[in-house]
Amino acid sequence: MKCNSIHKNLIFYLDGELPPQEMEDIKNHLSECKECVAFAEELQKTQAILAAEKSVEPNPFFYTRLKAKMEAEETVDSAPRWQQAWVKVLQPALFSFLLVAGVYFGSKIGKPEPINVAVANFADEQVIPYLNEMDTEPIEAFLME
Amino acid sequence: MKETEIINRLQQGDEQAFKQLVGNYQELVVTTCFGLVHNMEDAEDIAQDVFIEVFRSVDKFRADSKLSTWLYRISVNRSLNFIRDNKRRKWFWSFEDAAENKNNPLEKRTHGASENPEYEFENNQRTQFLHQAIDSLPKNQRIAFTLNKYEDLNYNEISEIMDLSKSSVESLIHRAKINLQKKLYACYKKKCI
Repeated sequence: MKCNSIHKNLIFYLDGELPPQEMEDIKNHLSECKECVAFAEELQKTQAILAAEKSVEPNPFFYTRLKAKMEAEETVDSAPRWQQAWVKVLQPALFSFLLVAGVYFGSKIGKPEPINVAVANFADEQVIPYLNEMDTEPIEAFLME
Repeated sequence: MKETEIINRLQQGDEQAFKQLVGNYQELVVTTCFGLVHNMEDAEDIAQDVFIEVFRSVDKFRADSKLSTWLYRISVNRSLNFIRDNKRRKWFWSFEDAAENKNNPLEKRTHGASENPEYEFENNQRTQFLHQAIDSLPKNQRIAFTLNKYEDLNYNEISEIMDLSKSSVESLIHRAKINLQKKLYACYKKKCI
């Protein structure tokens, strides 16, 4: 028996789903072929994962959580229609409007005023000399004191 | 309490009967959902929705089919809807899962297994690869395979749940196994685990 035909049927062999003769043939082949044995072991390990996943430990809080979820859903369902509409439509719409309005006014407030160049030059000349203490009191005079 | 009695009392809005129903079928529903979504938290969330749906639509339940069949159908549908709705968020999940190792059910269940980190790492990789391989199967193959492997259901039971003939289910599971074997063999050859 060739390795190729073994590989095609190995999963059925491991599940014991082949006719007796084929089961015997594969068993004989596996006793001689290391390569096929290695793949069979891989498949067995993978099947063991499925077996492990089957054994679910029941969650002891499952029913409590289920009841809490049901009560929460009932509260939402029993709310008046205007309240449901408020939660689902009006509330997001209001928040979106506030967000857009915030961005609009923010950009308006943050926008710099146009500068009048003539006034700005005048201001430089008038104000800077009085602000620059180095003009009125040089560093040498300051250190001498 | 028998199945019919639970149903009758549920139809009258008996909370005790609902508690009994959840106790009896919690494992069935959670395991089925887990087999499809591969995450325990999500599986429990979906399972809660399944029981809420059962509680609200128990009047529609026809007594000619088994309660478990009905539960399996709702669980499968809800899980598939969940997968569809969350496909867009999958990209973000991959980062979140990598950070939290959230999508790792085996680690959560085997708390003492950290004694052998190398084994654990390999097992995690194997688990992730298996989940990816199952997820890549066509929808019906995935459902049939999951019900067969996670719930140990036979072909007749699966055919009833999926509303297909027994031979169709047999063929679906056969093809699912061949496809999985191909993917696992390709991975084995590339030494991706």
